[in-house]
Amino acid sequence: MASDASPAGLVTNGSASGGGTPSGTGSWHAGVLARLREFGPAIGLILVLLVFTAIAGQKMWSTQTMSAISTVASTVAIVAVGVTLLMICGEFDLSVGQNFAFTPIVWTTLFVTNGMNEWLALAIALGCAAFVGVVNGWVTTHFRIPSFITTLGMFFVLQGLNNLLISGRQLIAFEEYPSLDLLGAKLPGTPFYLPLIWMFLIATIAWFVLTRTRIGNWTYATGGKVGPAKAMGVPTDRVKRINFIACSFLAGLAGCMQFAYVRGITQGQGDKYELFAITAAVIGGTSLFGGVGTIWGSIIGAFLLATIQIGLVLSGAPGSFYVTFIGLMLVIVVIANVRLARSGGRQA
Amino acid sequence: MTQPTMQTPALGGLPTVSVAGHARSVDRSAEPVFELRKVCHSYGPNRVIFDVDLAVWPGEVVALVGDNGAGKSTLLKIFAGYQPPTSGTLRFGGQDVRFRSPADARALGIEAVYQDLAIIDQLSLWRNFFLGKEQMRSLGPLRVLDKGHMRRECEAALAELGLTRIRSADAPAWALSGGERQSIAITRAMHFGARLLLLDEPTAALSVRETRNVLTSIARARDQGLGALYIDHNMSHVLPVADRIVLLELGRVVRVIDRGEVSVEELQELVARRAQPSIT
Repeated sequence: MASDASPAGLVTNGSASGGGTPSGTGSWHAGVLARLREFGPAIGLILVLLVFTAIAGQKMWSTQTMSAISTVASTVAIVAVGVTLLMICGEFDLSVGQNFAFTPIVWTTLFVTNGMNEWLALAIALGCAAFVGVVNGWVTTHFRIPSFITTLGMFFVLQGLNNLLISGRQLIAFEEYPSLDLLGAKLPGTPFYLPLIWMFLIATIAWFVLTRTRIGNWTYATGGKVGPAKAMGVPTDRVKRINFIACSFLAGLAGCMQFAYVRGITQGQGDKYELFAITAAVIGGTSLFGGVGTIWGSIIGAFLLATIQIGLVLSGAPGSFYVTFIGLMLVIVVIANVRLARSGGRQA
Repeated sequence: MTQPTMQTPALGGLPTVSVAGHARSVDRSAEPVFELRKVCHSYGPNRVIFDVDLAVWPGEVVALVGDNGAGKSTLLKIFAGYQPPTSGTLRFGGQDVRFRSPADARALGIEAVYQDLAIIDQLSLWRNFFLGKEQMRSLGPLRVLDKGHMRRECEAALAELGLTRIRSADAPAWALSGGERQSIAITRAMHFGARLLLLDEPTAALSVRETRNVLTSIARARDQGLGALYIDHNMSHVLPVADRIVLLELGRVVRVIDRGEVSVEELQELVARRAQPSIT
């Protein structure tokens, strides 16, 4: 079975070269590992569902639980889609959590507090979200500094702006607005809300772009190794800037959906979302070093996080235990990934 | 024709090479494929290339030799559009050109193989092969990657080079040996290079058989009228394929040697001796 890929007699040409892989079974391993990147998290999700079903019983499958898990998961997942795109091209965005609050705060301040046309206000707010990405991308690529620093700076800048705009108050939409319905209404006859549909739509588009288009190919190449990508004519800086913008835009859009669903916002919205999004991506198989990752892996990762959050509540565990659990799982998953990768003869 | 023929390794383990004849001549009355005029280059305050004039004609292999740090790779990267020179002119087919990125150079049919910038580990072979030159097809109003076509073309090109171990163009590149990576980078350059090939130590990680394949490929490309700029530390590889040998020292062209003027030993001596004063 294992000899499928390498008839021993043909393995001659690498012999004089020094480095490289010792055997010809690399491609066989590669196929299995490539699939594990997505199936691993899926199996994890099923296991977690089974464990919580055993603990919490039928409550785990009630309509309220389904509703809670899917609404928590869908906005985190949309943020994670953007973060995944960016991580695949080799960069981070720590400002998505603050952007997740900043964009709906701008939107709400304009149309609820100041009576602007709701659609115009939404367009302006999403424009602000994208502009955050423009700045992140430009500063990172122009000054050649780590995006970790750029976006950490942006995190604080946006946090300050959010404080300024909302100053401890809570913004609530009491009236009905079509834009709120479009982004966050309940789907009639189901326990689900519209953000779930938007999430699937956005994930499908992102998956298509990433796997079927030139910019997607260039995103993987840029994150894989920037030198060879540039040498082959890939405009690596532009690829990064585009992904920074996509990431910020999606974070802002998801924040608006959260507001549309909750109909209210405090400055606590999006707290730690940058870390949850990275966690979802990493659990879903996205590499911290770029060049590797899938959209659906991150979607599964986001559902895994949401299932654990709701499942722990149902099991009667203290609410704060959630982050402890997530932290442990993150480290275990990364250790598993590194070990798997090493057994396949490459870096994680 | 005048293909170089090679014998199996002699005592030292290095392949000895004998050339069948010297009948071939390069027509240098025509426009060169590519020409550098008074090119200088600096990395920050460090000037590494000084007033270099260098031209490659169609059907000519120019070898760049010199010690490490002589500026060979820097010159090659200027040719490839990877970095613009600090000053000086680039001329392609008799016209001044400015490359903003390697994509501009590739659009003109210039392909490079670098020592350190060849292959991306995480990408599959066909994605590496077609990176920056992706084949697209229509899907309704959209332009999408033509994966099937790229897979087949990549597999055919690799089979032609004799990479029998590679069964699928979907295999990721990290599973390859150093020699296989290099071979793929060279195959890619041959595949897309229509006018000029730039090769930075293409045989550095290769076995004897692979080296022979590469040298034969270079000779074949030259016979088809392509120009080639070729960097190699192994003078016994340089001599049989090079029409002219350009000796670089500390960023300057110090000597241009025509085909047949020197032996391997003399050339080795020349490079080594030239490098000597910089040490003392």
